[in-house]
Amino acid sequence: MIKVRDLHKSFGQLEVLKGVDCEITEGEVVCVIGPSGSGKSTFLRCLNRLEEITKGDVVVLGKNIADPKTDINAVRREVGMVFQRFNLFPHKTVLDNISLAPQKVRKMDKAAAEKKAMELLGKVGLREKANAYPNQLSGGQQQRVAIARALAMNPKVLLFDEPTSALDPEMVGEVLDVMKQLAQEGMTMIVVTHEMGFAREVGDRVFFMDQGYIMEEGKPEQIFSAPQNERTKNFLSKVL
Amino acid sequence: MLQNFRWDALEQYLPYFFEGIVMTVEITVISVLLGTIIGLFAGMGRLSSVLPLRWLSNIYVGFFRGTPLFVQILLIHFAVLPSLLGSSTSPFVSGVVALSLNAGAYIAEIFRAGIQSIDKGQMEAARSLGMSQGQAMRMIILPQAFRRMLPPLGNEAIMLLKDSSLLAAISLPEVTYYAKLMQGKTYLAWEPFLTLALMYLVLTLILARIVSFLERKYGTV
Repeated sequence: MIKVRDLHKSFGQLEVLKGVDCEITEGEVVCVIGPSGSGKSTFLRCLNRLEEITKGDVVVLGKNIADPKTDINAVRREVGMVFQRFNLFPHKTVLDNISLAPQKVRKMDKAAAEKKAMELLGKVGLREKANAYPNQLSGGQQQRVAIARALAMNPKVLLFDEPTSALDPEMVGEVLDVMKQLAQEGMTMIVVTHEMGFAREVGDRVFFMDQGYIMEEGKPEQIFSAPQNERTKNFLSKVL
Repeated sequence: MLQNFRWDALEQYLPYFFEGIVMTVEITVISVLLGTIIGLFAGMGRLSSVLPLRWLSNIYVGFFRGTPLFVQILLIHFAVLPSLLGSSTSPFVSGVVALSLNAGAYIAEIFRAGIQSIDKGQMEAARSLGMSQGQAMRMIILPQAFRRMLPPLGNEAIMLLKDSSLLAAISLPEVTYYAKLMQGKTYLAWEPFLTLALMYLVLTLILARIVSFLERKYGTV
């Protein structure tokens, strides 16, 4: 589903990704952990080319998005993204936030798009907030709306960029619960997270990133109980 | 002063003043609208990644912000338009062209600042849903930017209304033109020019009211 080969990314002189290789198959939940500045968010953002790819291949759903000729909008349609700071559209209601892209990008008619949006709001437990504006919602509610907005496009993969890092502690659970449910339904997910409990419980695989590389990868129980790499050990000893 | 105020003379010329006000308002409204359209494109040009577009916009904004409006009016009416069209144009056409181009340069800056003030996560969210750059600009960025732009845009409209008085110099029959006409015919000064000042004041106060109404209606995001 996603194949990354020798991915490099530099910001000016600073090389943030120094050759990342990985493969992610359909239905997998991959959690990416690592210290801040390790390149994990940049790696995720390269997967839908929110960051220009400096070098290497990133093949998403059979299309190499490192190739500038690839129609990136067509790929992004199939790849949902959830951001740390939600990025809901503040001038639109919750319902419009969710139903806008299906209408404008998928050319769905308004009634069908809104019906679908209401279903998704039900799924994240926010049906009664359909006509509210984002600033009337709590952080946890906003993030659940953001997940519904991503799901409205029927994506084949969902990317999560530290989805709970901007939330008050008491709201983290409600967002993780929605994500857990998606994982159980078989959604392919790549989650950059500091929630080690989530990574351990929900992840099929864990990538440990540091200094621009995937230093270690494996099943959660292996990474968390018997890490091989010194850096992984060091990092986990600090966060667990 | 006031006991000598020639109300009778003023009364005689008042219909001309009102005719002039209609022209003033008309040219202001047209120029604000055209200036906004020019400003939108020039503002986006200044943010464009295409170098020639950026240069062109920078030169345009630089010139019209860096030279006096009065000089621009003279240059456009007496030199640019006659050379381009082969014959002299009406003061109205020259006036619209000069005011719109001048306003466009300032409004370009208002657009640029407005667009840049929107969190870049908004563009990223829209693009990650598969929207094109243009769709994201139209549906997500500009509507939010426009709300933040209302106060400076209102300011620009008020400036433009006042600056349209300079068009009297190319004999556009707007309200200042008639005040000068009355002065020339009657040799009175207080009567035409105090009246003129008060008329501008009333117009700008009304405009300020309209702007604050729009701000209240659309202002908060």
